[in-house]
Amino acid sequence: MNQSGSLLRMLDFYWTNMKMAIMLEFQYRVANYFYMIGMVVEPVIYLVVWSTIARAQGGSVGGYTPGAFAAYYIVWTLVRNMNIVLTPYAWEGRIRQGRLSMELVRPIHPLHSDVAFFAGWKIVAIILWLPFALFLSLIFKPELHPTWYQIVAFFFSIWGAFLIRTMLLSLLGMITFWTTRVGAIFELFFAIELVISGRLVPMSLMPEWVQRVAAFFPFQWTFGFPIEALVGQMSPSELLRGLGMQALWIVLGLVSVNLLWKFAIRQFSAVGG
Amino acid sequence: MPDPIISINQLSKHFRVPVREGGLRASVVSLFRRKYNTVKAVDAISFQIDPGEVVGFLGPNGAGKTTSLKMLSGLLYPTSGQLSVLGFEPSRRQSQFLQQITLVMGNRNQLAWDLPAIDSFDLQRSIYGLPADQFKQTRDEFIELLELGSLVNKPIRNLSLGERMKMEIVGALLHRPQVLFLDEPTIGLDVTMQRRIRTFIAEYNRRTGATVLLTSHYMADVEALCKRVIVIHHGEILFDGELSCMVEDFSAFKTIGVTLKNGTADLRRYGEVLSQEGSRIALRVPKSATSQVTAQLLAEQQVDDLTVEDPPIEDVIEHVFAQGGAQEVSL
Amino acid sequence: MLYLALNYLRIGILNEFQYRVNFFVQMGQSLVSLATGLIGLWLVFSHTSELNGWTRPELLAVMGIHILMGGLIQAYIQPNMGRLMEEIQMGTLDYALTKPADAQLLVSIREFRLWQLTDVLVGVIVLLVAVYQYHGVVGIWQSLAFIAALIMGAVLVYCFWLILTSTAFWIVRVDEMVNLFQGIYAAGRYPVGIYPRWLRTGLTFLVPVAFAVTVPASALTSRLTPLTLLGTLALTVFFIILARLIWRLGLRNYSGASA
Repeated sequence: MNQSGSLLRMLDFYWTNMKMAIMLEFQYRVANYFYMIGMVVEPVIYLVVWSTIARAQGGSVGGYTPGAFAAYYIVWTLVRNMNIVLTPYAWEGRIRQGRLSMELVRPIHPLHSDVAFFAGWKIVAIILWLPFALFLSLIFKPELHPTWYQIVAFFFSIWGAFLIRTMLLSLLGMITFWTTRVGAIFELFFAIELVISGRLVPMSLMPEWVQRVAAFFPFQWTFGFPIEALVGQMSPSELLRGLGMQALWIVLGLVSVNLLWKFAIRQFSAVGG
Repeated sequence: MPDPIISINQLSKHFRVPVREGGLRASVVSLFRRKYNTVKAVDAISFQIDPGEVVGFLGPNGAGKTTSLKMLSGLLYPTSGQLSVLGFEPSRRQSQFLQQITLVMGNRNQLAWDLPAIDSFDLQRSIYGLPADQFKQTRDEFIELLELGSLVNKPIRNLSLGERMKMEIVGALLHRPQVLFLDEPTIGLDVTMQRRIRTFIAEYNRRTGATVLLTSHYMADVEALCKRVIVIHHGEILFDGELSCMVEDFSAFKTIGVTLKNGTADLRRYGEVLSQEGSRIALRVPKSATSQVTAQLLAEQQVDDLTVEDPPIEDVIEHVFAQGGAQEVSL
Repeated sequence: MLYLALNYLRIGILNEFQYRVNFFVQMGQSLVSLATGLIGLWLVFSHTSELNGWTRPELLAVMGIHILMGGLIQAYIQPNMGRLMEEIQMGTLDYALTKPADAQLLVSIREFRLWQLTDVLVGVIVLLVAVYQYHGVVGIWQSLAFIAALIMGAVLVYCFWLILTSTAFWIVRVDEMVNLFQGIYAAGRYPVGIYPRWLRTGLTFLVPVAFAVTVPASALTSRLTPLTLLGTLALTVFFIILARLIWRLGLRNYSGASA
């Protein structure tokens, strides 16, 4: 099978899968909206707390005014949506209930199905988010004046975030092949991620040493960077550098996932799951 | 003579299972020292299947059928032995290998629950990279064969169990695989539906010359589709050959159905009375005594009608298992 | 009545003891959650010395109460209400209705998740640390007011849950709305005074998070006026009656339906 043939075939597979996800998730738009509404409480809390502090500290804290915080946390809701990928907890059911077996008998790597499906879902999420963001903006009055190249960079960065997080959570989920006592590991991961990804607070509000340590981890590239690309004041070269870092983490993720998968399948095929 | 398409030689699959005992003391001990038992799910089996054969794989639960199928489709690594399907080593799970096989497990849903089947079929097309016109032709051919009509446009969740299974089978065969592994495909379906699916599989085999390895609890499946059966129990092959031979070799009894002219009678001295409904009586007699008992009945009773039948296959199978010994009779 | 409650408690505990490992898992989760909360708090106070008039030990106390109350809700209120909703939707509530005890009581005390109490333990410790660090006075009145407010807060949360679950008698699918509570409860980590007025009102009268956390915290830190405390009492009594009424209405609807 020649290379261009298989690339076309893969693209066809992704698009078909995405189409199905779009059809499905549009069917469930009410449930999707409910979920989004539930999700909004978290950033609102952060927003209110930090706006309060900003006002008490004379208008701004860490370089953010209440308006800037509003912008940060409203864009946060979209980035958060893009971050939601297959939960690592789903792997247990997948393995034990034989769904993985059925996927393994087909000639396409199961992870392609995951990525393709969620990618389609994200398209629906983005569409549903737009009126939602408008509504939030009316209430919280964000300060947001992005340049066109910021918007372009933002668009690419949210998909980069989606891919990086997919890799990370797939790696986590694959631990289930060896043990089912994974809850502790997962929760620890999520807790660390919460703090140093930019989800809890903008990274610039963290002490210097935390920011330096966080640079070694992929988390800020899944959350903080996309938000700051749109909301912050990055120059085109800084934006490009950030996108480059995302690409680097995606490649690292791909390599790790492929490697771990080989071992995981060996384990699975030895004991049957 | 074409090469066998499936070839298994001394194939084994052993599992190490931790031993669990009840009681507080045992659980404490097990924290420090784990004891393992080796379960021989499949124990040094060998057989070959030629292209185009439809083979039935019979055995009670836990006999090793599903384990064997999983090894053949590449899901499980064998503990020892050689196996080859379509010239490939299944556990290597090469793309060209997976492209030509299909695994259908009854009760397992592959198609998207909330979408119409037609959309899931399109997904199958993209998974297997089928050319559009060839795919459409195959799809429409199957839809017509199974008389699915407009059902393909209804979400899967709105279909009955039987209709769903039909869709699953179509979805599994759209890529025209050369080798079919079917694990209990008709389980839970009503009789009409079972027959429909059986006909479809037979037709698929006829049209494409595909090889089919089928496990089932229902003798009707096996009788209708398979000329050859492999009986497996405790991981060992007890019988491998034609169904009719198995009946002959392993059934020690025949069933004589007698319809008497007037009323009923006590025929216990001729053989074991299986059932008695008015003037219709079923007797079970040893094979060797069949002609003798038949003659006696005709002479001594007022017989309106008399039939001599093989016992139901279930009885034969039970007999095979009861024998337990690895009596391999190949043809 | 108390005897019945204790019995259910005993069974619940015995049941949970089967799963000893759950204690460590639960404890682990509580500690991770605590760590995240502390980090958040520490971050806030690295940029300011007080939040809307609340100092660090005071906010720590709020967090402790939030965790403590959360543990109680997860251990006692949520499991029972969850089971109640399921039984209403499945129509299997009848078993509870045919027992001699009062139905509302029964459905409210049947379930008990022992290991969720790790949050109560963690919350109490945090609270004690906060009180120790607190520069003000926590005298007898504050403590009594605090305990009273805590009890009333718990009762109010229970009534809220019961009313919400009872809507299942009429609208069968309430799952998603119930899921929202978890998210909204998170808002109670901070004193509700910081939120814009419309949100504050929602967190007080719609979803009584304010009464679960902020009011007891206010009692402890001498922010609570006797008037507010009395008002809380009145509100609690009102909601007890309201919840009971809605429950009975729903029951009648339910029993009428499944003739």
